[in-house]
Amino acid sequence: LCYFSSCSSWLPQRVPLRGSHWQSSLLEFRTSLPVRAQPKKKKKVDVKKEQAQKERMKKKLKKLEKAAPELIPIEDFITPLKYSESNRVRSLPALSPEESERRVLLLKKWCLFKQKQDEAEKQAIKALVESQQEALKELQLESEELYQAAILRDEGLFPFQRDGPSYTPPLPGYDPPEGKCSDITKVYTQ
Amino acid sequence: DALLGCHRYYRSRPTHGIGRFKYLLPKEVPKRRKEKVQMKEISAGTVYQYGDINIQMTSYDLCLVEHFAQYVHRLCNRLSIRVNESYAMPTKTNELLFLEEKGSKMQPDAVLTTHQRVVQIRGLSSTFAPILLEVIQSSQPEGVHLLMKQHTEADFKSRLKSRPELEELLAEMS
Repeated sequence: LCYFSSCSSWLPQRVPLRGSHWQSSLLEFRTSLPVRAQPKKKKKVDVKKEQAQKERMKKKLKKLEKAAPELIPIEDFITPLKYSESNRVRSLPALSPEESERRVLLLKKWCLFKQKQDEAEKQAIKALVESQQEALKELQLESEELYQAAILRDEGLFPFQRDGPSYTPPLPGYDPPEGKCSDITKVYTQ
Repeated sequence: DALLGCHRYYRSRPTHGIGRFKYLLPKEVPKRRKEKVQMKEISAGTVYQYGDINIQMTSYDLCLVEHFAQYVHRLCNRLSIRVNESYAMPTKTNELLFLEEKGSKMQPDAVLTTHQRVVQIRGLSSTFAPILLEVIQSSQPEGVHLLMKQHTEADFKSRLKSRPELEELLAEMS
């Protein structure tokens, strides 16, 4: 009996007793030890959200990649609507027989001229090819390795650029007005 | 006999195939699915032959460049050079503004459209190439700029529409 009493008297008198089992610490009223479950919850939600986002992006990518790439529509081949909607029809004057005769004869002369031009071109190509073949034959008889080198393709030939001829030569000492050129091509996106 | 030997008796009856009618209808042509725009293989060519070559003709005048492209195409057909494709590149529009002599405001001068046609050929032999070049140059009209170069993937890609969403997503993913 005396031992029990000594045990209970050993307790220090100043320790406040816990009011309820919810009060987890021996500190003052309304404070509690940090609960361990809170930071774990944050990690789980973040990882799941990120994974869901990534999956959504991958699905979007797959959908976009499935769609075949389209060619840019060419405006040259699309007639503007204003030319097809109007009802204006041009009325041409009737041709006199002399005039129509003259036109037919002119057409025939033009056809003949064009045919001669085409024939001349064909003859020129034929002559060029023949002379080239003859030259290569002679070269082959001369030296085999030069012939082989001549037959090889020319790497410096392409890219090849040439501006078309102009009607008049450029004016000397021409001072163009100042200005700028802006590109207003319509950009098509898919 | 397959009909009589079958254990399903109605197939040997005279009423077999009584409901058939599809063989009487006109044959349906299967719907052609939209062909996907795919890049054709670019050939590099051998030592004696050039691979895919693009003949690009550019001009401000549409009719002129069209007719020149047709002429070049027919020339290649006549000289039995294989023509892969003959297409048009998208039109470019330029707006010209000029500064007035006594003024600070830019006046709109003109709107110019640049048209480009491409004829793609394959298998041009090394001996015939200079002859072809000579012929095309001799018949080049005024104002038409001629460019001959080898065909690359970038040339093909420039014909396709840009896809900004796809590029954005790819940039985000990597």
